[in-house]
Amino acid sequence: MILKCRMPLADFVLDVDASFDARVTCIFGPSGSGKTSMLDAVAGLRSISSGEIVINGRVLFSSAGKVNLSPQERSIGYVPQEAALFPHLSVKKNILFGARRNHAAALSGIGLEHVAGLLEISHLLERPVQRLSGGESQRVALARALLSHPQLLLLDEPLASLDIGLKERIMPYLRRVRDEFGIPMIYVTHNPTEVLSLADWVVMIREGRLVTQGVPREVLMSGRVLSQSERDLLENVFDAVLIDSDAEGGRSRVRLESGQELFIPYVPGPVNRAMQIGVSGDDILVATKAPEGISAGNILRGVVSKIEMAGGQSILRVEAGVSFYVRLTSSAVERLGLRSGADVFLIIKTRSCVAL
Amino acid sequence: MFSSFETWQITFFTLAVGLASTLAILPFGIALSWLFARKEWPFKSIVETLVLLPLVMPPVATGLILLKLFSRRSPLGHWLYERGVEIVFNWKGVLIAMAVMSFPLLVRSVRISLSEVDARLEQIAATLGASNAKIFFTVTLPLAWKGVVAGSLLAFSRALGEFGATILVAGNIPGKTQTLSLAIFNSVQLGKDDEAYTLLLITVGLAFAAVWAAERLARSSNETPATP
Amino acid sequence: MQWVRRSCVALALATLSAPWSAPLHAEEIVVSAAASLTDAVREIAKAYESKTRHKVTLNFGSSAALARQVEEGAPADIFFSADLKTMGDLEKKGRLEPGSRRNLLSNRLVLVIPADSALEINAPKDLLRAEVKRIALAEPASVPVGVYSKSYLEREGLWEKLKEKIVPVLDVRATLASVESANVEAGFVYKTDAAISGKVKVAYEVPIEKGPKITYPIAVVKDSRKKAAARDFVNFVMTPASKDTFKKYGFVVLG
Repeated sequence: MILKCRMPLADFVLDVDASFDARVTCIFGPSGSGKTSMLDAVAGLRSISSGEIVINGRVLFSSAGKVNLSPQERSIGYVPQEAALFPHLSVKKNILFGARRNHAAALSGIGLEHVAGLLEISHLLERPVQRLSGGESQRVALARALLSHPQLLLLDEPLASLDIGLKERIMPYLRRVRDEFGIPMIYVTHNPTEVLSLADWVVMIREGRLVTQGVPREVLMSGRVLSQSERDLLENVFDAVLIDSDAEGGRSRVRLESGQELFIPYVPGPVNRAMQIGVSGDDILVATKAPEGISAGNILRGVVSKIEMAGGQSILRVEAGVSFYVRLTSSAVERLGLRSGADVFLIIKTRSCVAL
Repeated sequence: MFSSFETWQITFFTLAVGLASTLAILPFGIALSWLFARKEWPFKSIVETLVLLPLVMPPVATGLILLKLFSRRSPLGHWLYERGVEIVFNWKGVLIAMAVMSFPLLVRSVRISLSEVDARLEQIAATLGASNAKIFFTVTLPLAWKGVVAGSLLAFSRALGEFGATILVAGNIPGKTQTLSLAIFNSVQLGKDDEAYTLLLITVGLAFAAVWAAERLARSSNETPATP
Repeated sequence: MQWVRRSCVALALATLSAPWSAPLHAEEIVVSAAASLTDAVREIAKAYESKTRHKVTLNFGSSAALARQVEEGAPADIFFSADLKTMGDLEKKGRLEPGSRRNLLSNRLVLVIPADSALEINAPKDLLRAEVKRIALAEPASVPVGVYSKSYLEREGLWEKLKEKIVPVLDVRATLASVESANVEAGFVYKTDAAISGKVKVAYEVPIEKGPKITYPIAVVKDSRKKAAARDFVNFVMTPASKDTFKKYGFVVLG
């Protein structure tokens, strides 16, 4: 994919040149950096002064080649931040609004029942859209986009308007869509955890300029690319599989990619179920000696590989099979005499591990 | 005193032509309102002002312009006359006078309701593959329907009350072009107050009903739109 | 509605009537007449229709507006004006059929006061009295009755003296209304107009010889496509029977 566009915005000129080959690409940056404008440009809803947009070999726009497909011709499913459901139509009519690319439907096998089941909105189909919660609205908007059989999904901060609890509940749906339909996605967000959780590739922009691009884990956790507020949003996100579940004990066990095991709060489900685990950098304790007589379910041995100080806050990178990011005050770092190469123990409460 | 047949004839005639005029301007009014609300084009503000002009111009002046335009002495009027269409002094003149005088009210109302429709919804509909026509008829218009209905009712009541332009273009011909307003004028001129009051009562009743309905719709425009 | 009614009539004629009742040469003529002539002209038109089977369509309005319509080529066949000047202007512009014009009627200027007024006015100079605070008359610059009232007062040498008391109003109806409501002590109107209001009384009738020459001319419009029928109607309006109708409504018939 090629995303090369130049266009004047209110406060600055957006000028980005990125190319990548990924299932899910995140455009990541703070509010007002031109992310939504870029999505609109890809969808053909906003004109670009110059550039080139190529998705899966299809040229949607090219100032050099004088190509500018209309939004209708671009075969794009757009899920805007505010969901933008048609308020005069029922959920079902909303979802079926664009469902008429029949040829594509036959090929892709994306049908109403399938999508509604996957996104768990089958029971909402006859409702007026006014009676949907924020998370339900987002899922309906996602279903509507999917049923238009797009060749590319655009998602504009679909979680931004939801509260934390809901975010955790919609993430699985987004991953299901990613894994089930194989439709490439471009996902706009200001939240680094969402990037880590979903993306294969991240394009980081700030005030209309490309800061860097690459594999999310490498980009977000190396160097000082993140702002303070972005660091605050950062959480550790790991792919994992369920090993066993103990309903009575209230906990389940998962195995990370590295073979490392973690206890998490009880989740039902078949063994070997793939899932994602999130741990906030604030919820991890660091000890220089092995702790004893402690309630926390997870104690991991690791080595500090990097310390990044910014203001009173420090971010530690600790290698413990996988890389953990830990937020500490700078005084704690000083008190423990932490430095790169130090052996440490990471202490993580079971309840601080969240199944995303 | 008018016979009740004449009273009903005048009332029916006024209602019928008023309705025809409102229906006739509806497609143009909606199309123009859409161009005003959604598009930028050269001389837009001049056209907007021209459309609104009958609202503030003396109706007699509008009537004179229409008379000049459609009478046999004008090129347009002559062209129409040669094809057997006469506007002046018949019901078509009444219709045109009503249409021109009520058009600005329709456009004002529809334009506002169209611009209140979230353009984002139209954009999303476009990404879902809907043609511009489909977007307009399945998204924009259903969301603006209250403004369209309210504007139509306002235009209709303005048409019912039209006087100045009508009397010049269509004349004041009992049984042929005489509307409620013209009949009231005649009755007043002749000192037939009873007649005038009867007709006035009918006019007020009709206008009240239309304006009341329009206002009610306008006030509820922020509430949940109904599913058509 | 007219076309509904007419097609019903046509249908009735075609299906029910014997052929002799159908008009040999029925035409529809349009008569534009000053609003003050409404009742009289309606009655005469009805009589004419039943006699000839021509159809008379009447169009009422102010003389100025009707003249304007004729000037622009509105399809009127006959113009019946309430004043000479508008007719004269049309004639100068060549909009009238030459030789068709007849000065048919006249009217008299009267001074009306509220029906319950105790005011005694025997001569125009009585208007100078202090009890008469305001006098209504139709717009003296443009409306015929106003123009006539002003020229009468000027000839009596009273216009300048009464100027402060004069309240110009829209038209005859407005004059009558302001007298009826006693907002003014007196007002000038036509004799035919005074007759239509029960709430005013005539205090003083301007003598014909002293009054302005008020004339109602009638003429065939040059653009008319039915001149024969139009001339026929004008002739009918001149018959003694029609003249009686005019007199009944208070007009003075000339010649």
